[in-house]
Amino acid sequence: MAKVFNWQLGREMDYPYEAKRPEKQFAMVFDTNKCIACQTCTVACKTTWTPGRGQEYMFWNNVETKPYGYYPLGWDVNILEKLGVQDMDGPVYRGKTLFDAAPQGEVILGYLPDDLDYAHPNIGEDDSSGVMPQGAHFTMPHLQWMFYLPRICNHCTYPACLSACPRQSIYKRREDGIVLLDQSRCRGYRECVKACPYKKVYFNAQTRVSEKCIGCYPAVEGGRQTQCTTTCIGKIRIQGFVNAPDTVNADNPLDYLVFVKKLALPLYPQFGLEPNTYYIPPVHVPPPYLRQMFGWGVEPAIATYRKAHEDPKLLGALMLFGATPEISHYFRVDGDWVYGYDGKQSEIVRVPLREPAVIREVYDLKHKAYRTNIT
Amino acid sequence: MQTTARTFRTFAAIAIAAVMTTTAAVTALAQPPKPAAPAKPATARPSVRAPATTITAVRVPGTGPINDAFGKHWAGARPMKVAMLPQSVTLPHNPAPAVTGLTVRAVHNGTWVAFLIEWKDDTVSDKIVLDNFGDQVAIQLPIDTKAAPPSPMMGNPGGRVNIIQWRAAFQHDIDKGPPTTKSLYPNSWADVYPDEVLSANDARPYSGALGLENPISRGRATPVLDQFAEGWGSMTVKPDQHALGSGVHRNGAWHVVITRPMASDDQNAPRLVPGDRTVAAFAVWEGGAREVGARKAWSAWIPVVVAR
Repeated sequence: MAKVFNWQLGREMDYPYEAKRPEKQFAMVFDTNKCIACQTCTVACKTTWTPGRGQEYMFWNNVETKPYGYYPLGWDVNILEKLGVQDMDGPVYRGKTLFDAAPQGEVILGYLPDDLDYAHPNIGEDDSSGVMPQGAHFTMPHLQWMFYLPRICNHCTYPACLSACPRQSIYKRREDGIVLLDQSRCRGYRECVKACPYKKVYFNAQTRVSEKCIGCYPAVEGGRQTQCTTTCIGKIRIQGFVNAPDTVNADNPLDYLVFVKKLALPLYPQFGLEPNTYYIPPVHVPPPYLRQMFGWGVEPAIATYRKAHEDPKLLGALMLFGATPEISHYFRVDGDWVYGYDGKQSEIVRVPLREPAVIREVYDLKHKAYRTNIT
Repeated sequence: MQTTARTFRTFAAIAIAAVMTTTAAVTALAQPPKPAAPAKPATARPSVRAPATTITAVRVPGTGPINDAFGKHWAGARPMKVAMLPQSVTLPHNPAPAVTGLTVRAVHNGTWVAFLIEWKDDTVSDKIVLDNFGDQVAIQLPIDTKAAPPSPMMGNPGGRVNIIQWRAAFQHDIDKGPPTTKSLYPNSWADVYPDEVLSANDARPYSGALGLENPISRGRATPVLDQFAEGWGSMTVKPDQHALGSGVHRNGAWHVVITRPMASDDQNAPRLVPGDRTVAAFAVWEGGAREVGARKAWSAWIPVVVAR
């Protein structure tokens, strides 16, 4: 095992290979407060990449309802239970990673799901954390809670799938950090399926080898964001790149959200994979639950989000979500506008920080009519 | 880009393999395997004298491939009991393999050599889905039969081995047809697949490893894969396949024949002539115990004599 630095844990950790960060790292930020689980992203990914035979229940992108939705069934609670209770205090995580917890003779602590665990992609949809009592009505804070968790492969800095493959069939691209599984080389051992705690590598029973999210690399190579991002009707996502933690650029919208404002947080950082999809936590969910899922930065992130309207630069970064199909490498706020730029610093989009709004009079003098209930 | 990561990983794997090769030898010497439980006779095949310590490929009449597990030609071949060991050298380990012994016989007819490998297995594992793995067995032969044998664990850098692997799933493909979604999941339903509405060329990207003709995806003409390796993680299916085989599950046991030409233009295969002495090693996987890849049972090198 080599010693590698995991910035999300604030410490070095053991990993089977030496650290070699890519030139830039594919990343995505999700605003969970805006997701309505319409599954447009899921369908966009499905129709683009996995409509074939053997891929019927393969969803490289999925959206599940938390706390009771899982795809595959129980993926996170299963591995959390195997890992056991860990101390989730930061800024330095002192608990065990999945590599630390590897049983004798294994690369990593993992488990192979049952085939049937994939049979219910939308189980738990819209189920809330508890039963609403008779006569319940809307109060603050909410009596019960739930939220939607959209997920793709995390294109981890220290991928479990890659580390577990005995054939080196999985590799991480130096130019963008996308993790790919070589379809010619794989022999279907399913070590990657077992190892990935996020269960984002799938087995294809028709081809007898494993498959996974490819980060829409043909689009990304052309400067465009992924299918799941560009089709998101709620504009909850932005996809781009993050720099290494020691070369953070505050003018990169993803660096700004992740490293500068610490608003977007990794999914289950305690696993030790340094995942590269980041979540703005839902503001209405009890922090203890979120702390287990997104780490110890949850409370400050929620406080920052609640005050985002007071911070023009943060508001600008958030307004870039869903504003353009192209990848914003840089951004700048000037007056009431935010500007997005591509990798050559050419402007690709400009968005007002506040949408212009017109409030019409309730009574229409011209037509002598009341305007009621119109939107 | 990808080559850098791949190159690094390859070097690392080679380095580890080199170390582990030594370890494997030491382990094998220091911890002699428990004698395998005497395998029950899988069939009514006549036993010829006592179990051998060398696999002798006896000469039988005929020409061409020897591919019948129940042919008369096996009657004169002495059975060799091969002890199968836990794979606990490279990760992941398989500390308690399901199969602890194989019975091996060998014959040749001057142009083809064949090995009959039998082991007790009450269940047939030939359906491959996420949580179902297939029964498999493999024979390994050093390519250079004159040099000292390389590592018995898939060879080592510079010590290339020919590994011929039989797969129950491939046998199923050939005997009963390749799997379909309907055969694997009878209650499944799908509205349309790309290959139903697109040209074959346009639909190909949606067929994954099948579209790339990954040899692992389907058993085609034969249920065996003719391969070579120079250590862990280096297994490569040869572009030119010379080996043949067949497997039958009968009376609670697998009876698998693996046969190959004794000489060919294949640079990645041993050239054998009557009178030669070489070695062979074996690996076996019990699909029902989720054995796959490195999670296998392996044997040390066994002496092989090609009878005159």
